[in-house]
Amino acid sequence: MYHSFEVDGVDYTLWLSASRHGYRLHLRDEVIAPVAFTQRSDSSGILTIAGQSEPVRFVIDGELIHLHIRGRTRTLRYIDPLRTHAAGNSGTCPLVARAPMPGMVVAITVSPGDSVSAGTALMMIESMKLETIIRSPQDGIVERIHVKENESFEHDAVLVTLSKEGF
Amino acid sequence: MPQLPFDTVLIANRGEIAARIVKTLRKLGLRSAIAYHEIDARTPAVSMADLAIQISGSTPIASYLDTRQIIAAADQARAGALHPGYGLLSENAEFARAVTDAGIAFIGPLPDTIELMGDKIRARNFVQSNGFPVAPCVIEEDDPATFASRAQAMGAPLLVKPSAGGGGKGMRIVRDLNTLEAAIEQARSEAGRYFGDARLYAERHLEYPRHIEVQVLGDCLGNLVHLFERECSVQRRFQKIIEETPSPALSQESRARICDTAVRIARAANYRNAGTVEFLLSGDDFYFLEMNTRLQVEHPVTEMITGVDLVAEQIYAAAGRELAFSQSDIVSNGHAIELRLYAEAPECGYAPTTGKVLLLEYPNDVRIDSGIIQGQHITPAFDPMLAKIIVHSPSRMESALKAHRAVRELVLLGCETNANLLARIVSDEAFLGGHFHVGYLEQNPHLASGIFAAGMSAFLASAALLTRPVRDSADAVPELHSALGNWRN
Amino acid sequence: MQRIGSAADVDSQEFRRNDLHNRQLAAELKERQRLARFDRPEKDFERLRRQDKLFVRNRIAALLDPETPFLELSTLAANKAYNGEVPGAAQVVGIGIVAGREVIVHADDSSVKSGAWYPLSVKKIVRALDIAIENRLPVVHLCDCAGGFLPLQAEFFADRYHAGRILRNQSILSKVGVPQVAIVMGHCTAAGAYVPALSEYNIVVEGTGAIFLGGPPVVKAATGEQVSAQELGGALMHTSVSGTSDYFATSELHAIAIARNVVARFHQPAKTCIDRVAPEPPAYDASELYGIIPKDARAQFDMREIIARLVDGSRFDEYQPRYATSLVCGFARLYGYQVGIVANNGVLFGDSALKGAHFIQICDKNRTPLLFLQNVTGFMVGREYERRGITKDGAKLIMTVSGASVPKFTIICNSSHGAGTYAMSGRAFDPRFVFSWPNSQISAMGAEQAAGVLTHVKARQLARTGGRLSEQELAGIREPVLEEYRERSSAYYATSELWDDGILDPIDTRTALAIALSASLNAPIDAPQYGVFRL
Repeated sequence: MYHSFEVDGVDYTLWLSASRHGYRLHLRDEVIAPVAFTQRSDSSGILTIAGQSEPVRFVIDGELIHLHIRGRTRTLRYIDPLRTHAAGNSGTCPLVARAPMPGMVVAITVSPGDSVSAGTALMMIESMKLETIIRSPQDGIVERIHVKENESFEHDAVLVTLSKEGF
Repeated sequence: MPQLPFDTVLIANRGEIAARIVKTLRKLGLRSAIAYHEIDARTPAVSMADLAIQISGSTPIASYLDTRQIIAAADQARAGALHPGYGLLSENAEFARAVTDAGIAFIGPLPDTIELMGDKIRARNFVQSNGFPVAPCVIEEDDPATFASRAQAMGAPLLVKPSAGGGGKGMRIVRDLNTLEAAIEQARSEAGRYFGDARLYAERHLEYPRHIEVQVLGDCLGNLVHLFERECSVQRRFQKIIEETPSPALSQESRARICDTAVRIARAANYRNAGTVEFLLSGDDFYFLEMNTRLQVEHPVTEMITGVDLVAEQIYAAAGRELAFSQSDIVSNGHAIELRLYAEAPECGYAPTTGKVLLLEYPNDVRIDSGIIQGQHITPAFDPMLAKIIVHSPSRMESALKAHRAVRELVLLGCETNANLLARIVSDEAFLGGHFHVGYLEQNPHLASGIFAAGMSAFLASAALLTRPVRDSADAVPELHSALGNWRN
Repeated sequence: MQRIGSAADVDSQEFRRNDLHNRQLAAELKERQRLARFDRPEKDFERLRRQDKLFVRNRIAALLDPETPFLELSTLAANKAYNGEVPGAAQVVGIGIVAGREVIVHADDSSVKSGAWYPLSVKKIVRALDIAIENRLPVVHLCDCAGGFLPLQAEFFADRYHAGRILRNQSILSKVGVPQVAIVMGHCTAAGAYVPALSEYNIVVEGTGAIFLGGPPVVKAATGEQVSAQELGGALMHTSVSGTSDYFATSELHAIAIARNVVARFHQPAKTCIDRVAPEPPAYDASELYGIIPKDARAQFDMREIIARLVDGSRFDEYQPRYATSLVCGFARLYGYQVGIVANNGVLFGDSALKGAHFIQICDKNRTPLLFLQNVTGFMVGREYERRGITKDGAKLIMTVSGASVPKFTIICNSSHGAGTYAMSGRAFDPRFVFSWPNSQISAMGAEQAAGVLTHVKARQLARTGGRLSEQELAGIREPVLEEYRERSSAYYATSELWDDGILDPIDTRTALAIALSASLNAPIDAPQYGVFRL
């Protein structure tokens, strides 16, 4: 089972193997060896890759690895196979409308108990100086509204929980 | 030089500009006070200020827009002057008037000037009536019932804009007239919320003009000078991200013409203090766009090439001092570029990002106007600008190189920023050649896209080597089996 | 250590003829293995997809650590049985690396007869667990079996080494402290239910996995109760009500991720330490083995040429090089591990047996694993040899082979006949692993010799009734006898019946042995009871 990291929504699978001279990095279509990392401080180190040394600044924050290399910044998320595969097909997940980006609630147009159909406007949010309407992903009944007007929220926050009609 | 009539200045702003104002106040030997919302408690401006007074509100923005609390804070600090920074209340004439009425010097133009020039429609009419060029437009107020049909008659493409405000808020391009009604509705709603003023106007949208603006400075004695232009055409969503001066688009002759026009407009408006006259440049023609009656975000590039501290000049002007230099004393020296570092994801349509600043290291030997410190949370509560990198070199090419190096040296981990985009722009051929306009990023979407797979392996290698489960599983494999690799019989 | 100077002439007619022949044999082996592993009717793959199940090969790929070797055992089990309809005996067994640990993987292949257990399936599983016990290797069971194939139950149910032995072996493994984890990916019914139950850990996949003694139809027939498979023994029930299972998995990959996590926590006792240095590749190319192994099984060849292409640096420290030259003995290294090699260079004589017995005692005392390279037609027969006590000498060799406590590995390189098979650590003598080469033949007697004997017996019977056979009639008797004998002494027949642990392409031998050797060191080596007798 390969390890995988997510970067900007793309999954990269890889495997690291040890060798006499440091590690080998196995990517989908290439093997890079040797690779090594010498830590210099809590947030800096030297990556040796394909015979070149690259200074690296990093912060590890849970499953997120923030990296700054050669003037570029990227955040990689380590995907724990136990968690990812578990999330697979459990059908008990409630229906939710999530925030497509961070922002603030402008107006809420439904109340708990309302029956809504797919596409019904649930609330108006404001983000990036633009207003966006959050619509119901499916038919159902509004079970709970998790935010108040003027409240701000982060990306992917659950805004509204719906229950399926007849359940 | 005589003493200033005040020893304490209240800063009614936040972030990088508040910090930048504190620096000048220190330099001038003045006490700095800041009114801040709790969410900003850990920001550099609050820690740098001599006095910090907490204000509150239903939202963080609401507290910074609360005139009553801010004037109360100024009183509490015994501030004799107030600097509004940019955005927020900086172009609110009512506010300026309330400040003045409270016996506090407002560091900016007269409230009447703000009223005249801060309202885009009024400013436009004023400028037009004084014989300066403006782009065709229709104004809602003239006859609200026919606004939509008049706009329709002007034809696409057009731009629906709020009468008040700036910074791209509430602006909408209409290319398909069928979407006009919806655009008007949304612009109206946003304008109402941001500026408490839902009036709109629609303007002919020039597809690919340049955005050139001129810095002006006046004292209360009627002396007025310009400090050359700034080129601000690298924009996304009507917001500037890279500014420079001098503009690569202007000849000496056209530079003189546009700067002179700006000074004449300012003079017509009886302008005092620092202000900016914005123009759209299309070919050799330029049209008045609007005037910003305040300090601009991008003012540092002007400071770099002229050596003038604009905040200090603002304070002197508010204190009633005469300008210490005349137009001929102001010389442009070299070339400066400002890069705006935003908490946003260019590859996701510039969606704002949030996070905690886990590691922050700024490059050396360039000017950094920063509103953040390590450990700070970046929230969606405010404009996502985090800091500005300002470089100054003898030539434009050297400035671009320096900017490129600086933005690559800047380390900010924990919150995604547009740093990669900035680096790509300042090394892009079109940018380096000076061939760009306000539609530059829109026409070059590759600059914003995150798909730059080259160099990905270094990131994957570092992440792999820094992730314990990955390293542990490599170390767990017996040496023999590791050496045999993926062998099968 | 001396490097073996190869005398092989790679440009010779003979070398090239052998090379062509043996490459063809290797290609045939690879093709047969490919078919046994992957060739299934599309409807079977379609059924797996419908059931939301992964093909067994994909399950194993996900289970193993990437970029690590997998030594598959008995790939061609049952290739000569059941009309060839049960490839691999519907089982996949091998030694692989899971979370850094050497483990036995045992997987039911439900793409074949829904993973039903045939007699040879049971034999393959029992053998897998024997390997686990002998080498103290943890086991990962991937259970997806429809149950025993009832029409043949008499051949797999009741006897000592029948299906009960699977459960007994699991219990013994646990007793000696070697853990197992089972993933229930299909129904585990009747005896099969005990496979997860007797494992230290088990994981059930929601929806497809179930454990019960009697499935819904059996329950219906016995008590009239109507119950669904999931209610009766599904993941939710066993992990929340009965406690039969430990982990609930929402998908096969989730279950595999859990199993990898479980294996990572297994206690890993220190491996047995034997003499080892840094590995070194052989000085001669392994592919030259193809030109050295003779096309005609009866042709003699120098086993040192084989050794030179198996061992580190082709270095071989020969023991008693001037004595009893039909048995080559000596020390070498394989991937750095020191091994004692016992290899045939002709028929076994009394002195060869004594030399071999002595050498085995030395290795045993020295904790040096033994590698037997078989090419033996048997012990020498004849009055002279019997008078010199060849049986007595052979008994000494058999006694030391049986009694040696160091791991033994046997490669059937060419011929393996008669008591030579036994004395050279045949299957019955519990070498840790036995591998065959595709050209090899194993039988009580060589085919030609046996056909001669059988034809002779037939002719004598006829002669008694007054008949007399023409040359043509004799040939008519001889040919079918020879044909059947050849068939049943082929490597493919041997491996079908699990007389070995698989056929190896000769060039894979060195690596397969290294993996086997490393695996064997998970078990302790007992000290011999006596000193070394000079024989």
